[in-house]
Amino acid sequence: MNAFLSMVPRFADAMLVTLEVSLLAAFLGMIGGFALNALRMRFSKALAIPYRTYVWLVRGMPYLSQLVIVYFGLPVLGLTMTAAQATIVSLSIYAAAYFAEIFRAGWASIPHGQIEAARAFGIGRRAAFRAIELPQALAFAVPLLANQVILVIKESAVASIITVPELTMTASDIVASTYTYIGPYAMLIVCYWLLTQAVALIAARASALIPFLQKTS
Amino acid sequence: MNTPDLLTRCLGYLPQLLAGALTTLWLSAVAVLCGFFAGVFIYTMSASDSALLSRAARVYVSVFRGTPVLAQLLVFYYVPSAIGLTLPGVVAAAVGLSLNTAAYQSQILGAGFRSIPRGQIEAARTFNLTRRQTLWRIEVPQVVAVTLPALVSEMIDIVKASAVISVIAVTDLMRVGQQLSSSSYRPLEVYTLAACFYLAITTLLSLAAHGYERRLAKRI
Repeated sequence: MNAFLSMVPRFADAMLVTLEVSLLAAFLGMIGGFALNALRMRFSKALAIPYRTYVWLVRGMPYLSQLVIVYFGLPVLGLTMTAAQATIVSLSIYAAAYFAEIFRAGWASIPHGQIEAARAFGIGRRAAFRAIELPQALAFAVPLLANQVILVIKESAVASIITVPELTMTASDIVASTYTYIGPYAMLIVCYWLLTQAVALIAARASALIPFLQKTS
Repeated sequence: MNTPDLLTRCLGYLPQLLAGALTTLWLSAVAVLCGFFAGVFIYTMSASDSALLSRAARVYVSVFRGTPVLAQLLVFYYVPSAIGLTLPGVVAAAVGLSLNTAAYQSQILGAGFRSIPRGQIEAARTFNLTRRQTLWRIEVPQVVAVTLPALVSEMIDIVKASAVISVIAVTDLMRVGQQLSSSSYRPLEVYTLAACFYLAITTLLSLAAHGYERRLAKRI
């Protein structure tokens, strides 16, 4: 029991690291993905192929593969970073591809007739984007975005392989120093499960709010 | 100036990377296959009339979909040794990946099962087919045909998830990459080449899925 209680502060610290790394990467990835999709829609002729190539590359390789290229491979080209920085950079790039596809699906869900009607009414491209396309696309995308945040949190476990002091690394550390296996790993599973359930709950509440936000009167 | 050297080095890495890729492939295939049968089982549990079974199934799916694959693999590799049972890394990896994909496949297959008209199941009952026969001979083939693209997508995810089994002492593609990069001191080219192998596998799988979907669309 004593050993179990002594693990809790370490796991609490580790959970903070996991949250910092994954939420930062998810946030950067979401902004990056949104920008990528917006640019793709604006400059569709020039950017269609680069966009598709980027998404194909990032989604076709395991995240661990991309992480080791950033952490071990980039120093060969002169670009060194700490394990945490490498994780955030590679996880953001990884997440951005998925978020870009989610936003693309969000925009695809808008009936094209609305965009044509907006143009017919003389509504400028930027105004139409902000007032007509954005609310509908986001309302469609929110559950998918939340799911992707959960996936990013789970993917951050891979960073333990390059010794970022997040949850999985801490659990393995405790196992290695105390030779007890069940306690730390059970705690690990519980911590991740709580994290993902919490995000799912928050997302469900946010999704329920959307119809209220869409009311204009 | 470095290109012919680079090429010879890369050709030198190929045999080991290929061996690692084959390990990754057959382990993923085994996991998806076992996970398929486990997934059917989990679905029948969740659809059963017993509240206990259906809740157990829901908890199972929630835990396996809500936690990272790496954490699950570490549990299956190290916890048995606490009970005195040493599992080889390959077995632990196969078990962990199978149980993980079973949770996802139970959801995919569940959608397929729910799309089968109830009339078929009632007809099977009037023809005196047992529950097991109805399941495996009538429902499952239709479910597989309908959900195949989603199942291939899941197989792609398992191939990518299998990259972390390098941590539990399995000589898969990723582990070969680590070994080669530490012996050659050229991490960038080795890891990039390994990544290309993964890319090739996932691309071939998704092309196969697209081809299947196109054939299905033509039939209709």
